Formats: sequence, structure tokens, C-alpha cells
Amino acid sequence: MQPTIHEILDAYETMVTSRVFDEACGDLLSAGTVLPHYHSGIGQEALMVGAVAPLRPTDQIIYTHRGYGHLLAKGIDLASICLDLLMKQGGTNHGLGGVMHVNRPEVGVHGREGVFGTRFGIAVGLALASALRHATDVTVCFYGEAAGARGALYEALNMCKLWQLPVVFVAENNGWSFTSRTEWLFPSGSMTDVWNGFVPVQVVDGNDLAEVWDGVSDAVERARAGGGPQVLEAKTYRLDPHIWWDEAKYQPAEEIERRREFDPIVRTRGALLNLGTSEHELDAIRERAAATVEAALGAAFAAPAASWESSNEWVTL
Amino acid sequence: MGDTLSVEVLQEQVTVRQALTQVLAGELQRSPDVLVMGETVRDGGAAGVTAGLYERFGPTRVIETPVSENGFFGAALGLALAGFSPVVEIYSADFLLAVANELANDMAKWRQQQARRSQLAITVRGCMGANGGLGPEHSQSMEPFFHHTHGLTIVTPSTVEDAVGLLRSSIRSPDPVLFLEHRRLYDLSGSVPGDPEFVVPLGVANLVAAGDDVTVVAWGWMRHEAEAASAELNQMGIGVDLIDPRTIRPMDWETIQASVARTQRLVVVEEAQLTGSVSGEILARCVEAGPRGLRAARVTMPDRIHPYSADMEALILPDRHKTVHAVKKLLDG
Repeated sequence: MQPTIHEILDAYETMVTSRVFDEACGDLLSAGTVLPHYHSGIGQEALMVGAVAPLRPTDQIIYTHRGYGHLLAKGIDLASICLDLLMKQGGTNHGLGGVMHVNRPEVGVHGREGVFGTRFGIAVGLALASALRHATDVTVCFYGEAAGARGALYEALNMCKLWQLPVVFVAENNGWSFTSRTEWLFPSGSMTDVWNGFVPVQVVDGNDLAEVWDGVSDAVERARAGGGPQVLEAKTYRLDPHIWWDEAKYQPAEEIERRREFDPIVRTRGALLNLGTSEHELDAIRERAAATVEAALGAAFAAPAASWESSNEWVTL
Repeated sequence: MGDTLSVEVLQEQVTVRQALTQVLAGELQRSPDVLVMGETVRDGGAAGVTAGLYERFGPTRVIETPVSENGFFGAALGLALAGFSPVVEIYSADFLLAVANELANDMAKWRQQQARRSQLAITVRGCMGANGGLGPEHSQSMEPFFHHTHGLTIVTPSTVEDAVGLLRSSIRSPDPVLFLEHRRLYDLSGSVPGDPEFVVPLGVANLVAAGDDVTVVAWGWMRHEAEAASAELNQMGIGVDLIDPRTIRPMDWETIQASVARTQRLVVVEEAQLTGSVSGEILARCVEAGPRGLRAARVTMPDRIHPYSADMEALILPDRHKTVHAVKKLLDG
């Protein structure tokens, strides 16, 4: 199902918030600030937001370590993400999990596994729970090249198909698995060719908000109606290095420049202008996003650090 | 006397296998959130513990899984996140190494790492231990592999009564529990406590026998070897404080250390091989707790793989005779 103009506008604001946040983190890193476990999502905003925004609040996601657009689109406030990033009191995990384990079960975000691969089984379990309770929620399980090479994905797909479980697996093919090119790890650089004929597979342009939205929402509604699992591969590109300390010397500068032409923020902005949205309105969105980011980071820097004492309730579980 | 007799008559004699099945059935009946899952569970599982449950509770409560340990251990985690209390069977406890990531990195850490207030009730159960030439991948004692893992409760029952009370506690625990059933225990008989709500709290040791000369700590099948050794030692005039910790983690240090403070002699009997054994930790903790003049010894399997030859294996497994010998040597020295 294609998004309406209002849905595109809302998604665009979330995408821009994600982008402005990543840009602010980039500035902080350049200034020498340490941002533990920070992974930039620059270039993947249409994928992250377009795949989550169409979901219901009761639907569940298993997010990747890269980018914060999934979390923002699912309704987790940036302020909490910043508190977790900076290991401060008041976030979602009190310095025990950092930005890698942001969670808010009440909006369908239970957290994230520490070693890639368990997520596939977790998705099976969440979907099995829905099926056993005759609920209608769907689980969307995102994964990158690393997790997607683990055997648990096959195991999960088999179980999802065996039990017709409502899971949509979204492969985030951003061209790189840390220092390795996707095509060095998967035949022809496709993360989903291998699943063709096993479960329904769809490949979308991950930098096209409407295409991601359309593909994911159709897969989700099909799963909700009892149609079983589907794999959707979103082709995108990682414009920033893998992690905050990575200099990405392995990633050719001209390749990155070439890929900037497909920047999803620019493309979505262009699409909105074509749909009649004014420059003024789009600029106002960016200003609001900038204010949100500034407030969230400012509050997080000012917040007291998490400590064993402040985390005691959780440590002694 | 008449009262005592009537109570005994009411107590049902069952095997550990039957007792475990009864508890699973009872918990499935008690809460719709309890699920049984694993390989071949529809036909009783590896040791017959889930026999009859599928027929009684159906496919939505007793879930037969493919041989996909990573997948279905992950699924158990997902089910627990959604509020279910899955009881997952591992076909042989040795195979836990195939899912050490899910167990030690994910399940054990999850509640703390994500500051999760709600329970994460997962019981992982399965058969374990040497039973005569099953080879090194179907015989190992797995508690040493996992007792290093903070966040995991490890339970090793040794009697019908404890199997019942501990499995009930494990399934109702808000945290992940590893429940390890020694293969040689399944056919052991005993009486099931009459109270259908009978539980044995996790982390509380059982003082099996009282004596002043030496503290012997043993669990699982080794508790029975140690009990036989204790009877033999009693006949020699040696009094044994025999402690079955029942839970490896958390360990009931208070009970063990109080006993050792009194006897100043400690022997730990453990089926696992020596290096990295749980008994090493027990000795260390007792040394740190510091009764002056503490003397201690371990009766374990030497550092060998379990051979496929049952005869060769029997020679290296700890037993009652080796325990008697170790205690006498300790007291004589």
C-alpha cells in the first residue's frame, strides 16, 4: 500500500530527525567526543523509517545496530536514545546496555541481542506468541549482512513457514559488511536470492521511501492475514563508516560520492515538492528536527551518569 | 503410628522420569502461559519425560521443533519476552554448547542488559551425565560450562522429591533456569510429596546426613554415590555432613561454609572432569571463608574425554569407593 502525502510528510520528519541526529553525532565525534557503540544510519533513512512507520503500535520490531530511524519511527523518543548512548541515568537501560540495547516493550521494541543471529529465533518466538494468543500483530525482523549469513536465519525461515508465522524479514543490503563488500559474502551481492522458492522474496529500492513503505506494508498485511513469512531485501548504501572509530579507508571516496546522488532525504524531499509541499514547510520540518536533536543531546549531556548505585534495581535482578 | 502409616500409603511411589512428567503436566494445567517445546517432545523427548503431554495438551502447548537449536532457543527467548514460560528440552545437555550464545549471551544477560522489569521465565531442561559408554558428546557434565554465567540459575536434582520441587520452582522462576537431569536418575524411585504445590526453593542446599568429621558435598547422581560412601564411613565410625546443594548457581554457600567451619574437612564429589570443575569453586570459596587448618580434596573425573568404551569409562568416573578412599586419606593425613 502506497503512503498518503500525510504519511510521507510524517515519515520525512522522522527521517530528517534521524539524519540531523547522525550529523550532530558526526560533529561531536569530529570534536573528539566519544560516543560508545554509535553506528551512523546516514543514507538508510528511507529504509529504516519506511519499513517501520506503516506498522501498528502493537506490531513488534527487532532493529539492527545501525541507525536510530527504526526506533524513532516505532515511537521511542530521541531523548531516551541519547541517554542510553551517553550511558546516563534515565534512559531505557541505565548504562547496562547502552545504545545497543535500547528497548521499550510497550511499543513493540523488546531490545536487541548482543551477538548477531539470535534475532531470527526471537522473531519466531514473538510471532509464535501472537499466533498462540490469536493476536494480529506482526513482527518485523531487520538484519544486515552479518546476521544474514548466520544459520539461524534458515532455521527461523523454516519454522516460520512450517507454522505460517507472521514475520517479515527485512534484509538491509547497504553494500558493506564492515570492511567486506556484500558481493564478497553473498552470491551476486544479493542477500535474498538464496531464499527464492523457499519463501516469498521481494527486492525494493531501499532509498525510495514509497517503495519501501509499499513493499513492507503489503508483506505485513499479508502476514497479518495469515499468509506467513516473507523476506524483503532493501538495497541501500552505507554513506558513513561502519562505527564511530572506523576511518573506512577501504570504502572508495568516489563510490560514496556517486551514491550520494541517491540520498533518500534528498529524494523524499524532491518527491514531496512534486506533490505540492512548499519549501517553507520542508524547511520548517528540518528546523523542528534540529530543535529536537539539540534538546535531546543537551539534556543527555546534562544528565547524571549511570552508576552501579543508580542501576542497582536491575543489577540485583 | 497409624497416622504415619496412612501418610506413607498416600504417598505415591514414582520414578524421577514419571515425577518430572507429572510436574510438567501440572504446570501446563496450572498456567496457559507454560509451553513445552523441543525436539521429539511429541513422542516423549530424549528420555521420555514429555510422554503423553502432546496427547493431553495438544500442539499449541507441546511444540515439536525441527532440529534447529539456535532457532528454537531464540524462539523460546521471544516467547518469554512476550510473557510465555517456555520449558525447552535440549536433547542432550552436551548440545547446549551449540546454543551457548543464546543461553549465556542472550537469555542470561537479557533482563539486566535491557533493564527488563518483567519476568523472563525460560526453563531449559534435558538429560545429562555419563551412563555407560555414550561417548564424549552425550555424557558430559555441563554445569561447569555454565556456572561461570551470571544471570543463569543452574539446578541439578538428585531425588524424586527434589526433582518435583525444583522443577516446579524452575518453571515459576522469573529468570532463566538450566535444569540438568542426570541420566542415571530417571529410573530411581521415590515418593512424591502429597502437596500439589510442593516446591523446593532455588539456592537452598539439602543436608542429607549429619556428622562431625567431614563435610562431603555432592549433587546429581554423585549425591547417591556420596550417600553410599557416607553409610560405609559411618560404619567405620566416621561422621559425614553430607550436603546436596541442589542448585549449582546460586550455590548455598552459607550451608556449606557453616558445615566446613565445624568439620574443617571438605571433600567434593563431582562427575565432571577436574580442571575448571564446580568443585574447584567450592574449595576456593571455603578457603576464602577461612577456617584455619582446612583440609580439602576433590573426587572428580580426571582430565579425559568420556570414552565410548563403558569399561574404560567406569574406571575414570568418581564413585562411592573413590569417595571413601578420599575421605579416609584426608582424615588420615
